Amino acid sequence: MTHFVVGLFGDPESALSAAGSIQSADLGTPELMSPVPIEGVEEVLGEKRSVIKRFSLFGAIFGGVSGFLLAAITAVLYAHPVGGRPIITFPPYLIITYELTILFGIIFTVIGFFVSARLPNGLWTSFWKQDENRPYVPEAAVDKFAVSIGCGVDDVQRAETILRIAGAEAIRDGTEGAS
Amino acid sequence: MQGEPNQLKYTDIHEDVVRSIVETGPNYYVALATAFALTLICFFFPWFYQLYYGIGAAGMNHPNVWGTYLASFIFWIGLSHSGTLLSCVLHITNSSWRKAMYRSAEAMTLFSLVVAAMMVMVHVGRPWFIHWTLPYPNQMEMWPNFRSPLLFDVMAITTYITGSTVFIYMGSIPDFAAVRDRTRGWRNTMYSLLSLGWRGTDTEWHRLHWAYTFLAVLIIPLAVSVHSIVSWDFAMSIVPALHQTIFAPYFVVGAIYSGTAGIVTVMFVLRKFMDFGEYITELHFDNLGKLLLVLSLLWSYINIVEVFTGFYSGASGETEALRYRLFGFYAPLYWEMITFCAFLPLLCAFKRFRTSFVPMLYLSIAINIGMYTERFLIVATSLSRQYLPDAWGLYVPSAVEISILVGTLALFTTLFLLFVKIFPSVSMYEVKETMNTPKKIPVAASGGSLA
Repeated sequence: MTHFVVGLFGDPESALSAAGSIQSADLGTPELMSPVPIEGVEEVLGEKRSVIKRFSLFGAIFGGVSGFLLAAITAVLYAHPVGGRPIITFPPYLIITYELTILFGIIFTVIGFFVSARLPNGLWTSFWKQDENRPYVPEAAVDKFAVSIGCGVDDVQRAETILRIAGAEAIRDGTEGAS
Repeated sequence: MQGEPNQLKYTDIHEDVVRSIVETGPNYYVALATAFALTLICFFFPWFYQLYYGIGAAGMNHPNVWGTYLASFIFWIGLSHSGTLLSCVLHITNSSWRKAMYRSAEAMTLFSLVVAAMMVMVHVGRPWFIHWTLPYPNQMEMWPNFRSPLLFDVMAITTYITGSTVFIYMGSIPDFAAVRDRTRGWRNTMYSLLSLGWRGTDTEWHRLHWAYTFLAVLIIPLAVSVHSIVSWDFAMSIVPALHQTIFAPYFVVGAIYSGTAGIVTVMFVLRKFMDFGEYITELHFDNLGKLLLVLSLLWSYINIVEVFTGFYSGASGETEALRYRLFGFYAPLYWEMITFCAFLPLLCAFKRFRTSFVPMLYLSIAINIGMYTERFLIVATSLSRQYLPDAWGLYVPSAVEISILVGTLALFTTLFLLFVKIFPSVSMYEVKETMNTPKKIPVAASGGSLA
């Protein structure tokens, strides 16, 4: 059973320092929750990579190809010859291609964001039941910086000590699945 | 609350924005009821009248088969331009002054696009066939002509509405989560759904940053393409004064110009009536004033080029269309446009003017009146003077058209008033980024899923 220990900090530097200490103590990779993006997280917790750019690229290519095919295949199936000009006319079809490149690029970027950020998550349904598997502190949406670590029962005390030494203003703990 | 933004705390912006959503005074309801009533009376009733009696209720007839509906369409598409476009450009260039104002500017984009799309439906006369513009398998075996700029429009505007909606929504997710925790009842339900379970973790912030940046990069060229394509609706017709290569940049510059003026108007309203004076400051008006000055000079330059090339062409159709625009029936409107959009904005050269809120409001309204006139003149004067004198005519909008024009303003106002009570009008997390980090203050250990 995983126990969550969450330390609340008043400033981002202390929270980052606590996160670094938790990681150095081999308690696992902590999670930071904050009202604003914190600069320097990657220096402490390691570089983050996301698949969003791959989604964007795939969406743009998919949109571009399907946009051109849509216009070209329509022209071939419903031919409307005008003065001996080519049926498939590139200049106007490039505009359709361009617009659908952007459209599907946008749509797939959003899908990539949801997939990589794991949204929507259980808190989405918080008006029915609070999701206990993911720790959340409302103050972290206002003016506090929270460091959360999931650890075994034997490590709870150690994690709390590290958070206190780093300057946590308050410490909360809970258990995964607890109601 | 008094002081500079950097003297504020995170909790101050939080309280102010939540208050703007949950606390509603009687003035708001009066404004909303008035705007809604005007929308019904001036927009929907005349539209239904036109649907019942036919498109003849509008003043459009040969040769002026385009009128104020299309002028309104271009105007609202143009007004939509500065919101998302400016927001994307300023996001990419990391301009911090964008942060207090971009949410409302993006909303302006979205609602302008909605109104513009409505104008297309009003213009076509039989809006129940509007789906014929979309490519879908059907029993008639009728597919759209992808060589037509009207189809380019459908694709571009659909993409732009999608992109603008996604952009404003993605940027609002952290703020929806912050408001979620402070509301109860149906509001809590709504914000819980809208925030998708956002917790503000380092991973979520990282993903949001990249997704938001990719969207900005995708939307900037899209915005430029949208108004270029709108210009081709006209420039690809073989009509004097419309068949011009400069139309794409002319429309794009005009769109950004009127959109920026629209942002100034909206910023003034938010500052005055939503009590956001702490966040929308002289700095914003100063920067927007500089932008207006640059855009007015660009716009003036393009107008000079348009007049010169028309004169220099020596083509009788072109010079007659030009003479008619400058000295004909619509000449007072032309010179009003030049006064409002070329001369008045020169006042923005003075910092004292740029940082004065009320004069900037008047200027922004004057610019948009001038820019509407520009769109009207493009449509009306060009079709009034085609190649052969027997095809010449005069267009005066009917009462139905004028009413619907007023109704579009009411419709936009209604949508915006609804927006300010649903969306946080000022981006909380981005304004917080511009502030000093909070000091250490002990908090009570209560609340949250681990309490």
